[in-house]
Amino acid sequence: MELLDIIKEDTVFLGLEAANREECVAAMLAGMEKAGLVKDAAAYLNALNEREAKGTTAIGFGVAIPHGKSDGMAAPGLAFAQLKTSIDWNSLDGSPVQLVFMIGVPMEAAGDEHIKILIALSRKLIHADFREKLLAVQSKQELFQVLQGI
Amino acid sequence: MVTVEGVLENPSGFHLRPAQLFVEKANQFKANITVKNEQGMGAAGKSILGLMTLGLACGSKIIIEASGEDEQAAAQALLELIKSKFGE
Repeated sequence: MELLDIIKEDTVFLGLEAANREECVAAMLAGMEKAGLVKDAAAYLNALNEREAKGTTAIGFGVAIPHGKSDGMAAPGLAFAQLKTSIDWNSLDGSPVQLVFMIGVPMEAAGDEHIKILIALSRKLIHADFREKLLAVQSKQELFQVLQGI
Repeated sequence: MVTVEGVLENPSGFHLRPAQLFVEKANQFKANITVKNEQGMGAAGKSILGLMTLGLACGSKIIIEASGEDEQAAAQALLELIKSKFGE
């Protein structure tokens, strides 16, 4: 499985305007629904919120990776948001978040595939030039090029 | 510098949540913490993202290096956290 297998045109948000985490997650969830990845949005949202309540998913460097395993997902899915202005996400390093990768995996498929994706993604995100590229992309095609091979 | 070694035993390995707990614990100490995997790849022990890049799976060896005034206590506390399987 590669990133490009689970991210869809409908799940990419460039220059997204969101006032807070809830608005950001709601917009991304709507995109996942539109892409046909979700069968029960409320159940998946519940899984996301439960995970967030255990501890922030903001990993530093202005990046958050909200994620949840849920029967509300019809298929493994990834959404990406590049925010117009950064928002607070209770990050451990105190930095506001401007890049968001949201991952959803159905319960029955919850092996370690998505963890492999998380590791592959983190190995790219650690590099400032990769984060700068994500902040700079202006089209979905450009984003897909940046994410190719992960 | 103090170096300790452990083996990750929580089923899903070093994903975001264990990395976060590790960083929270590491931040309780002044010591500088470096974590390495068996391949010698190293990451800052106070960075969630850094720790995730190590790709540590269940059964992986994990090497913790602590240096600074409370290095002994820091290394022991982090090793205990790993042994506790992060409460999973």
